[in-house]
Amino acid sequence: MIFKKKHILYTLLVIAPVVCIFISLFLGRYPLTGENIIQVIWHSLTGSGEAPLKVHSTIVTEIRLPRAILGSLVGASLAVSGTALQGLFRNPLVSSGMLGVSSGAGFGAALAIILFNNLPSIYLFAFLFGIAAVALSYFIGRIYKTTPAIMLVLGGVIVSSVFSALLSFAKYIADPYEDLPSIVFWLMGSLASASYRDIMVSLVPMTLGMGAIFLVRWRINVLSMGDREARSLGIDIRGNRLLVIAAATLATAGAVCVAGIVGWIGLVIPHIGRIIAGNDNRILVPVSMSLGACFLVIIDNLGRVISGGEIPLSILTALVGGPFFVYLLKKTKGGSWQ
Amino acid sequence: MNAISIEKASFAYDDVPVFTDIDLAIKKGEIFCLFGPNGCGKTTLLNNILGILKPLTGKVSIEGRDVSMYHPRDLAKLMAYVPQTHEKTFPYRVCEVVLMGRTPYTTLFSSPGKEDYAISEAALAAAGISHLRDRIYTTLSGGETQLVMLARALAQEAPLIVMDEPASHLDFRHELLLLETIRDLVADKGLTIIITTHSPNHAFYFENHGLPVTIAVMHEKKILSTGPPAEILCEENMRKIFDVDSRVFSHAEKNENIMRYIVPLGTR
Repeated sequence: MIFKKKHILYTLLVIAPVVCIFISLFLGRYPLTGENIIQVIWHSLTGSGEAPLKVHSTIVTEIRLPRAILGSLVGASLAVSGTALQGLFRNPLVSSGMLGVSSGAGFGAALAIILFNNLPSIYLFAFLFGIAAVALSYFIGRIYKTTPAIMLVLGGVIVSSVFSALLSFAKYIADPYEDLPSIVFWLMGSLASASYRDIMVSLVPMTLGMGAIFLVRWRINVLSMGDREARSLGIDIRGNRLLVIAAATLATAGAVCVAGIVGWIGLVIPHIGRIIAGNDNRILVPVSMSLGACFLVIIDNLGRVISGGEIPLSILTALVGGPFFVYLLKKTKGGSWQ
Repeated sequence: MNAISIEKASFAYDDVPVFTDIDLAIKKGEIFCLFGPNGCGKTTLLNNILGILKPLTGKVSIEGRDVSMYHPRDLAKLMAYVPQTHEKTFPYRVCEVVLMGRTPYTTLFSSPGKEDYAISEAALAAAGISHLRDRIYTTLSGGETQLVMLARALAQEAPLIVMDEPASHLDFRHELLLLETIRDLVADKGLTIIITTHSPNHAFYFENHGLPVTIAVMHEKKILSTGPPAEILCEENMRKIFDVDSRVFSHAEKNENIMRYIVPLGTR
């Protein structure tokens, strides 16, 4: 019986983002009728039926579809990294950017915009600086031989503030008409330029990171008992912790380098998951992935639809997510938090 | 072979020595009480036994092998740990916490399976808390939490359980309940239990119920003496360790063993 329930749950978790992606094919500023879109989908799936107009099929399969797929991957990565790090640091206020990956990536992107101003270099710099920032936090945390979790958090805070300062400096010296707007826009997060190439670039780090977190999710439960107890329960603390940090960093850096800095998801989606599914990471990890994916696809659709221009992601994630989170808290009376 | 043997072990935090030249042998199937005043280094010695700290000199062996040579997974199959205080972060359910005792039997990428569920149910029953299994453990009292920690240790199925001041937050009834549970574990399952305690009457309790008990008194960075509680816990020793006048009473109830207990009279 329990076994069956589990299968139903997993099926739902996979179907939900797919439904969100499907719906987003129908939304956008270019006037396409539902019939047009069905025609495109039918034609590209089966190769039969009446051939759709070139512009129609381009909009659906080359613009809307990759954008929705990328959104779901980015949302899932950020949410699951946040979940993993919260468990690891035994702190529900930790987010996916805790160890400095976002600030590092932000600076890397700004640097690339100033120096080269082309997409591949922005991706590369954001990704590498994000990872470098976390590595730096980790080594600062290891100044004390034992790497207590609190030292890592402190290392993350220090590295984040240093990279924020560097980012401010980069903004200060950037060309205010050309580069500065690009930097500011990048820092607010966007999927506007999403293409299959973006998916190809970021798929590897994101799936590797998410996959590793999914596989070791039981160990995150045990690590959340604290170092002493986790060790006496048979866990190699250092190795397991490094694995979780590396996986979360890979997933977040992969997401941030193509989508910019998307706030809020890595902190609050895990909490919505905790309210819905409880705190056992065996269920919470897949639930966070699915929720993060759905949430970002929905937010991106809103950003494309509600105004003439594109509204950056970070603005909407908080504006839409905040009230929704409060509603959930009220509905569940705060879950089981005391 | 002894369950644990400690040879000439010393430990210091930076330059401050905590204990020096300690020798101890803990036999299989006994209750070993580590007894001493606050701050005498009991917990540090326990950490050396658990492999969390490494002695500066000397060595600690479990089943004849140096503790630092074990992989944490193998050590956890031999020795379980019940912490003095457990800091709760996430509101897990009780059964989820107890299931974590099965971790040493999982591999890096696996989660506990069917058999592990059955074993943790049995552990809940042995600790007498089956009725709490679906409760959120952050809502439990200190005494109930202690029993959850004990159940988790039992789920580890280790022949050796280390408990750090297990009764320090417990009320009159829960304290006795815990002592009874430990008594049954040793008498029925033949487990070896290491327990640190402030309370001399805990050691007497086990001895009064006819269990093999050794008490080691830690005092001024050394083991002052080791032996059965009836010999070690005398009025003279209590004066020496705590600067307290006390009286040991004994009586025989319904022709059973002689029951001993100790009552403090006053500080000197």
